[in-house]
Amino acid sequence: MKGLIGAVVLLILAALGLMPFFVTNYIVSFAIQIFMWIALAGSWNLISGFTGYVSFGHVAFFGTGAYTAAILISKAGWHWFPASLTGSVTAAALALIIGYPCLRLKGPYFAIAMLGLNEVVRALVSYFETFTGGGNGISLPPIASIQPVYYAMGGVALAVVLFTYLIITSRFGLRLLSIREDELAAEAMGVNTARLKLYAFLLSATFPGIVGGFFAWYSSHIEPIGTFPLLTTITMIIMCLFGGKGTVLGPVLGATLLSIFQEMVWARFLFIHQAIFGALIVAVVLLMPRGILGVLQQRYRLPRTI
Amino acid sequence: MPIEITGGMLLQGVVSGLLAGGLYAMVALGMALIFGVMRVINVAHGTLLMLGAYATYWLFALYGMNPFLSLLISFPLLFVVGVILQRLFVYRVVDAPELSSLLLTFWISIFIANMAMVAWTADYRSVEFLTGSFLLGPIALSKPRLISFCFALGITYLAFLFLNKSKTGKAIRATSQHRELAQVCGINVRRIDLITFGLAAGLAGTGGSLVSVMFSVFPEMGQIYVFKSFLVIVLGGAGNYPGAFFGGLILGLVEGLASLYLSAQLSEVIAYILLVLILLVRPTGLLRGRS
Repeated sequence: MKGLIGAVVLLILAALGLMPFFVTNYIVSFAIQIFMWIALAGSWNLISGFTGYVSFGHVAFFGTGAYTAAILISKAGWHWFPASLTGSVTAAALALIIGYPCLRLKGPYFAIAMLGLNEVVRALVSYFETFTGGGNGISLPPIASIQPVYYAMGGVALAVVLFTYLIITSRFGLRLLSIREDELAAEAMGVNTARLKLYAFLLSATFPGIVGGFFAWYSSHIEPIGTFPLLTTITMIIMCLFGGKGTVLGPVLGATLLSIFQEMVWARFLFIHQAIFGALIVAVVLLMPRGILGVLQQRYRLPRTI
Repeated sequence: MPIEITGGMLLQGVVSGLLAGGLYAMVALGMALIFGVMRVINVAHGTLLMLGAYATYWLFALYGMNPFLSLLISFPLLFVVGVILQRLFVYRVVDAPELSSLLLTFWISIFIANMAMVAWTADYRSVEFLTGSFLLGPIALSKPRLISFCFALGITYLAFLFLNKSKTGKAIRATSQHRELAQVCGINVRRIDLITFGLAAGLAGTGGSLVSVMFSVFPEMGQIYVFKSFLVIVLGGAGNYPGAFFGGLILGLVEGLASLYLSAQLSEVIAYILLVLILLVRPTGLLRGRS
């Protein structure tokens, strides 16, 4: 059984790796989008799905990475790949500065502190015009080929999934889950909750940072309003919840299905797109808080580690 | 900073800040009530404010109604909107984990904002009713801001009177202190939820009416008030309603001084740092509140 699953996984990865040689650029760019959402939803899952601390401003890390990379590429002439990697470093640094005080906050207070963080980073980006171009943003040279971005983004998505798997099968993961279920009890059992929360938070900020860098390079132009929308945070949350929070494949499932769904709805019903997406939010929140995978796990006794 | 700040400018900053703070206090009181009674963070609060502003704008543009008189319409109108929202959606997430209420009210907010965009376009509109300033020695008091401040103060006072003296107001406070116990004492908490949301929406709408005489009216105008309101709640201490009033004034003051000494763009950043510091040092709020 295990060998079979391994073979299937390898086959899927090989197919995804060879895909850009056989399909149109439209499909490749759509796949990049899906990979991006898998990475973002999976990252949100690392802090909020496991510890229950709702990061309601996760796009701040994405935007920080995007701006770091864009500044390094446009002002310092860096190659986009190391620039994006540096973006993940600044995102993690921001997470360290903010996480250290804010992870002590409970429930709604943490969520709002994160929401505020997003506004603050956007305000700072608009303020330091000499580096960031203020409201006009930064323009980057158009990219010649999207294949490298495909592999880079796919690699990050894969890394997020692997990390989630490693965490969920480790003591670290169990401890994070214990924080979600009952933080006080976890602390009483000797779990160093403050430190573990911070580790999970750092991890969950690192990947959006690098994804943000790729996004900046890929879209050739970034500006404050389009880089820090609350809607991006909400989208990653909904994708993660839809698939199943606190699972390995939940964010993958949610990001893929909702991206396909969005692409179809976008194309046909531009005007009511947000209304449909909103209805989905309500449906997920009210009717299916455990997500697809959560329901399946419960009903068919699937292993916890998928 | 090359410009030297004189005593007059400082006074001006303080006064402008306090004038803005009165409005923050009123809007935040609504959000504080919802948070206190239902443990719901109402992300749609700013959108309700926007609806109030549009009500005033249209009454002024179409019928030439005095914007301050239109409070008599925008408050009951938004009260009804609030009750409907509560009855249809929000009641499902009362006392639920914060993620549910955040997502649900966020959806309400984008839905209403989109409707407003479709109905009234994204154009910036303004209610040109009062312009000019009163000159008081070294400081200039903008007329619309001063009058809006007075109205905000008066309405906040009325709201406190209602909360403290009326039977329903006392029931609201009891429910926010202890929901189950209030229920045991024979308070119909579902009905209190409805009234609370209506009252809060009414306060937001009134805030919108008052904002419309000072700033532009457009579908996204309310967004900035969501975070500000929450900041005020934290400053005052959750569950401490008079605290919300002083919290509003403090926030206005901090913003006024921050924009004087640094930049108006950075006032939000300063306010955020303030929020994090307060939450760390005094999690129950600057003024004593319920944790």
